[in-house]
Amino acid sequence: MNTNEEYFESRVDMSAPSLSVDEFLADEQTRESSTNRRDFLKFLGFSVAAATIAACEAPVTKAIPYVVKPEDITPGKANWYASNYYDGNTFASVMVKTREGRPIHIKGNKDFGYGEGGISPEVVASVLSLYDNERLKAPLMNGKETNWTNLDAEIAKGLSKSSSITIVSETVISPSTQKIINSFSEKFGNVNHIQYDAVSYAGIRTANMATFGKAAIPSYDFSKAKTIVSVGADFLNGWLISNIYRSQYAKTRKPENGWMSKHFQIEANMSIAGANADERLMVKPSQYGLVLSAIAEEIGADSFGVSPGEFKGNTFVKSLCASLKSNKNESILVCGSNDEALQILTNSINYKLGNYSATINLNDEVNLFKSEDQKMNKFVNDAIAGKIKGSVIFYNCNPVYSHPKGAALAEALSKIDLTISTASWNDETASSCKFVAPNHHSLESWNDYSPTKGYLALAQPTIKPIHETSAAQESFLVWMGVAKRVGRESKVYYDFIRSSWSELATQSTEVIGFEDFWNLAVHNGMTKIQSYAAEIPVMNVLTSKLAVKKLNGSGNYELTLYSKTSLGIGNQAGNPWLQEMSDPISKITWDNYITMNYQEAQEAGYNVVMDQEHGASTAKISVNGVTLELPVIPTPGQAKGTLGLALGYGRGENGEKIGKGAFKTKEYGGYEEDNGKRVPIGANAFKFVSFNTSFSYIALASVAKLDSTYPIASTQFQLTAMGRTSIVKETTLDSFINDDSNGYNLPPMLMTHHGPEKISKFDLWASHPVEHIGHRWALSIDLSSCIGCGTCLIACQSENNVPVVGKDEVRRGREMAWLRLDRYYKSTDEMAIGTKKEDFTFTGLEKNIDENPTVVFMPMLCQHCNHAPCETVCPVAATTHSNEGLNQMTYNRCIGTRYCANNCPYKVRRFNWFNYPSYKKFTEINPSQDDLGRMVLNPDVTVRTRGVMEKCSLCVQKIQEGKLVAKVESRPVVDSDVSTACADACPTQAITMGDWNDVNSAVRKASSESRAYQALEEIGVKPNIWYQTKVRNHSNQELRKHQQKIADKRKHDLEKHSHGHDHAHGEHH
Amino acid sequence: MHKEAAIREPLILGHKTYHDITNDVCHPIEDKAPRMWYLLFTIAAIIGLYGVGTILYLLGTGIGTWGLNKTVGWAWDITNFVWWVGIGHAGTLISAVLLLFRQKWRMAINRSAEAMTIFAVFMAGLFPLIHMGRLWLGYWVLPLPNQFGSLWTNFNSPLLWDVFAISTYLSVSLVFWYIGLIPDFATLRDRVKNPLSKKMYALLSFGWSGRAKNWNRFELVSLVLAGIATPLVFSVHSIVSFDFATSVIPGWHTTIFPPYFVAGAVFSGFAMVQTLMLIMRKAFKLEAYIHTKHVEYMNIVIMVTGSIVGVAYLTELFVSWYSGVEYESYAFINRFSGPYAWAYWSMMTCNVFSPQLMWFKKLRRSLLFTFVISIVVNIGMWFERFVIIVTSIHRDYLPSSWSMFYPTAIDIGVYVGTIGLFFVFFLLFARFFPVLPIAELKTILKSSGEAQKNSPDKHH
Repeated sequence: MNTNEEYFESRVDMSAPSLSVDEFLADEQTRESSTNRRDFLKFLGFSVAAATIAACEAPVTKAIPYVVKPEDITPGKANWYASNYYDGNTFASVMVKTREGRPIHIKGNKDFGYGEGGISPEVVASVLSLYDNERLKAPLMNGKETNWTNLDAEIAKGLSKSSSITIVSETVISPSTQKIINSFSEKFGNVNHIQYDAVSYAGIRTANMATFGKAAIPSYDFSKAKTIVSVGADFLNGWLISNIYRSQYAKTRKPENGWMSKHFQIEANMSIAGANADERLMVKPSQYGLVLSAIAEEIGADSFGVSPGEFKGNTFVKSLCASLKSNKNESILVCGSNDEALQILTNSINYKLGNYSATINLNDEVNLFKSEDQKMNKFVNDAIAGKIKGSVIFYNCNPVYSHPKGAALAEALSKIDLTISTASWNDETASSCKFVAPNHHSLESWNDYSPTKGYLALAQPTIKPIHETSAAQESFLVWMGVAKRVGRESKVYYDFIRSSWSELATQSTEVIGFEDFWNLAVHNGMTKIQSYAAEIPVMNVLTSKLAVKKLNGSGNYELTLYSKTSLGIGNQAGNPWLQEMSDPISKITWDNYITMNYQEAQEAGYNVVMDQEHGASTAKISVNGVTLELPVIPTPGQAKGTLGLALGYGRGENGEKIGKGAFKTKEYGGYEEDNGKRVPIGANAFKFVSFNTSFSYIALASVAKLDSTYPIASTQFQLTAMGRTSIVKETTLDSFINDDSNGYNLPPMLMTHHGPEKISKFDLWASHPVEHIGHRWALSIDLSSCIGCGTCLIACQSENNVPVVGKDEVRRGREMAWLRLDRYYKSTDEMAIGTKKEDFTFTGLEKNIDENPTVVFMPMLCQHCNHAPCETVCPVAATTHSNEGLNQMTYNRCIGTRYCANNCPYKVRRFNWFNYPSYKKFTEINPSQDDLGRMVLNPDVTVRTRGVMEKCSLCVQKIQEGKLVAKVESRPVVDSDVSTACADACPTQAITMGDWNDVNSAVRKASSESRAYQALEEIGVKPNIWYQTKVRNHSNQELRKHQQKIADKRKHDLEKHSHGHDHAHGEHH
Repeated sequence: MHKEAAIREPLILGHKTYHDITNDVCHPIEDKAPRMWYLLFTIAAIIGLYGVGTILYLLGTGIGTWGLNKTVGWAWDITNFVWWVGIGHAGTLISAVLLLFRQKWRMAINRSAEAMTIFAVFMAGLFPLIHMGRLWLGYWVLPLPNQFGSLWTNFNSPLLWDVFAISTYLSVSLVFWYIGLIPDFATLRDRVKNPLSKKMYALLSFGWSGRAKNWNRFELVSLVLAGIATPLVFSVHSIVSFDFATSVIPGWHTTIFPPYFVAGAVFSGFAMVQTLMLIMRKAFKLEAYIHTKHVEYMNIVIMVTGSIVGVAYLTELFVSWYSGVEYESYAFINRFSGPYAWAYWSMMTCNVFSPQLMWFKKLRRSLLFTFVISIVVNIGMWFERFVIIVTSIHRDYLPSSWSMFYPTAIDIGVYVGTIGLFFVFFLLFARFFPVLPIAELKTILKSSGEAQKNSPDKHH
């Protein structure tokens, strides 16, 4: 709008020109301008308004709808893919949950998977490792990021010039990978392929070679065993494919079957298997040979000249052998030693017992754990001696960390012309190599596996590769010159697998076309090629006497290296979920430590009472001249004169980028640093591994106590259940089968004027309207089946976005776990856990732990009480009861008084003490503070803010999903519709979830079993969680008599009552 | 006029006239403040500001800056809350209950005791606010009409009862105290020369004219308020005790709590009055009005309530054994022999043993001894609340969750800070408000003044 015009001035102006109107009018220049006052005001108004609106606006979170909807992605709906997990140490068949194209949760493939989809915490947690920001984002050349073209060119050049190539790999169980390595060898010639496992079971293979002429690891089937004997093998955690043995074992532990396996454990460390044993004997690792020999002699097997020594005629051995002899063909003996001689003895005993016909299958060989210890050791020694020329390729293995001579190897690698690693992280080995060709994460890549001879498994990608990584197999093909890179969309390895499977398909017993065969394999994740039934092999006659290896080193203690359920052998040490997972035995997080006999430690002046401010005493432990400084945890059930130390810690000693969670953090955030390098958590126990024809994980050690203490972050400091009857209930198989259930599971009683009555009869309040109307979600947890593997803990964390809070906060008793695993040892003042002796003292219950205690694991979570004490005390009604029996938490409404947590008898409520998704203290450890880590969050579950209370919701989001499915299908909700993450994950089916109001539901049936009870029933909170009494298959006469007395008294009371009642009744008439 | 026996100890010593009383009370306000006042005020203000700083840090960072954990959800926060509420009990008891019982000796102490009450309740009220995870939403505890749908407060929650109990108590105490102040403000208004002060006191005195009608209404209102306040003395701490008594936690779930808490509150409140009065009478030269007899009376109250508290402790112990409930038994075994036994025995020594010394007349009339005991009692009462709160929840039902509580610097800072703030308020009160009720003291001068009592004839 142009206003270049004359303004009318009044006539008066003409006579009075002194009036300076011009000053108020625009001058020429202004008039010339295209912006006048009104426009200016418009602009001003607009910009102020715009600025105001912009300032008011909440941060924009981009939610861009699909322009073209992918066929198989519906926003808000999860897709599940069958896949398989293999990390060189653990193999598991899994189901991967993806939401909007990103994997967020992993559970076992129970329908089709190998070993019924048995999983472990590591497998579940691997989904978080996918989003680890420290995973390699591009290939490295001399430690610097490069692109694949350059890398491939350099490597191809180097390989063609190499006189020899050494490939050091994990045990290759992938048929396609093996094929690629074979053709790689053909192409280059002079290729030396060494398979190397961080924890080796070579002794089993060589023993089978010696006895049966077959260097194999057999398939074990614990589910068929009536007697299970383990000598130092933690077959429920860490030993071989323990993740599938768990479900097999659990099948033998259901007393409702009328029988239970009898489990004898002979060991030095208190292991998970030991904690579940019916009978446990503590021996030193050096005595394993004597024990085996004693067993062999007792059952009449050949002991090959090994003397039983002091175990000759040992009563424990005798009772064990009696059980073995009465269960011939239906027993199993396993030994955890990697010493060929001990494994030959084990074979001899199993052979004599006829176990090779059922429980041990030598025909369906396990393809895992083919560690070639001698070849590996020669390679390391040669490398250190500078004898290795040419090229070395490390495929998915990390010997610089896991080999005892790792440090020297790292130095030697720098002198070798061409060193390549395919690690996904720039780990200890990779960072010593010139080239790193990062492999995909297992969730990003196709792969195939053959866990045993009879099975073929397929891993399928569930997300497009996040970074510039490549399948290692593709890299091999590219370096051989038979394939070309095409970036992240590459199908090179996929096509290769398909072509090699087209051959395998012909082996399949089911005759179907290849496409069907392939599609079925993709859908199920697993296909059975052929059944290999067990048959008794021919045992070779050994002519020479067996020589049991002496322990390496010197010292007063015998050290056993073990792996924890959480960190395993340390492949995922950078995974904060695993680091923060509380160890089922010690309950300690974020550390490894020396476990020492409780009484011995006490006598030696080690700190036995620990808490937030009182850490553990530290000690220097030396094996063969290698010394580590570690805290000492007095552990009940550790054999005298022995020590335990977990592998898998101490990763990233030189500050290698192996994951954000692997390093110590400071109290107010940031990493602890030493000379500019991050300080690893714990110490690397692989340095104590020794080699004598095979790797050995036991050694002699000397220990020197230091004066310092070390802060310990434990989630449970108390050792016993204090003999409290209504927390854990325990009985024996005899009592369970033969006696009145009131003996071991008497409901709490109240004395009334007409005799004792069940407390459940009395109620201050009207019963909650949830009973018998609509749904009533409930859980039943079988303490006999729960073996304490802790898989549920990580599954819960993954499903419910439970924050990671770090060592300092856990130490302060602020771990956020919604589900925890309480561990109770038996005290000398108890007959069994939860049953006090008559002359008990309270202090005894606290302090006098059995030297060899029995153990109970009790998963503890919100009990969803129908008379919830938390609900009445909340001033703002932020926690309320749903009409489906759930105790629900409304985060939005919570003002954070913490009254509910105080008033919770089970102490399952967790408070957001800080803003975990943003406070600086948690930047390094909480995945939700990381752009990439945040991708793992479950979009169905709110991330909680500071100042609010949270707790188990019984996976309400999963219940809702299940209900909707049933609704869409217009049918009532059934058991298979609803589940919780913990129940889904449990490899032993210890947790049953369902609708209690549905009389046909499994949980309803479980709740009416004679073993069913509710924790703390007498306080009348009416939980929706039932526990099943722990049943142990051993003899405990004291307990049985005590229980019979209780049952008799109850019977007597009932008789008296009914008598009195009749009498009164008569009078009335 | 009420005639008092000659052998009864006089309540106002020396030869005081009505004018003397006015002068004695008004002088400290009218004169320049002594250097000591400035010194004390500075110290208190520094400590108070430090407390405010720690509170701001707490609010900015999170409740995690305290030493609480998954098992112990309340520790120093609620301990301090109950402790301060308890201290805030003496004022109302003295001014209301003793008024109804026509206890003349209350005249000398009720004004300061009420002021102390109000400031203590301020400090107490702070803790339930700052202990919330989300203070900014704290108004949700009020039953306000809202747009959140049909959201209402949970009237089953004792914490909500607390909100009403404390706010009622605070408002009634404040009104009661203020009504009492009106005639004295009028006196000050008439005396002060500084025009600003005059204006202020004129405003504060609500146009008091001293007419008979004024006095008549004053007396009536005082009596009515005393009637309203008296049940509050019992209700507030009973309701505070419901926070614990209605729970399911062994050691908290105790029916004896309401009377036990009220007795404890009076006990600690009187001890705090003693502490403050003994200093004030020296600093303000009020020895004639607050003297051995007053101290002795209060010591007797301390001794009696201390004994009630002692009986309550023993009853709790007995019942824990007699109930046969294993959790209940262990809660008390743990109290006296567990890791916090030192706190339990400190509590026992301070609260049960030390007041028994008051049976000795010589001791209960000793001002120095009284001063020491008054502090000991309040230490003991702090420990009592700590013992009840922390040692009950740190080891409750499931041994797997047992833990310890260790305070952080912020825990300590907030607590010490409230003591600082309390003294800031109290010193301001002592500087600008009449610390003794001038008008009320004059009513007893004739009957209980030493000179008047001993020579009644002269006076007429």
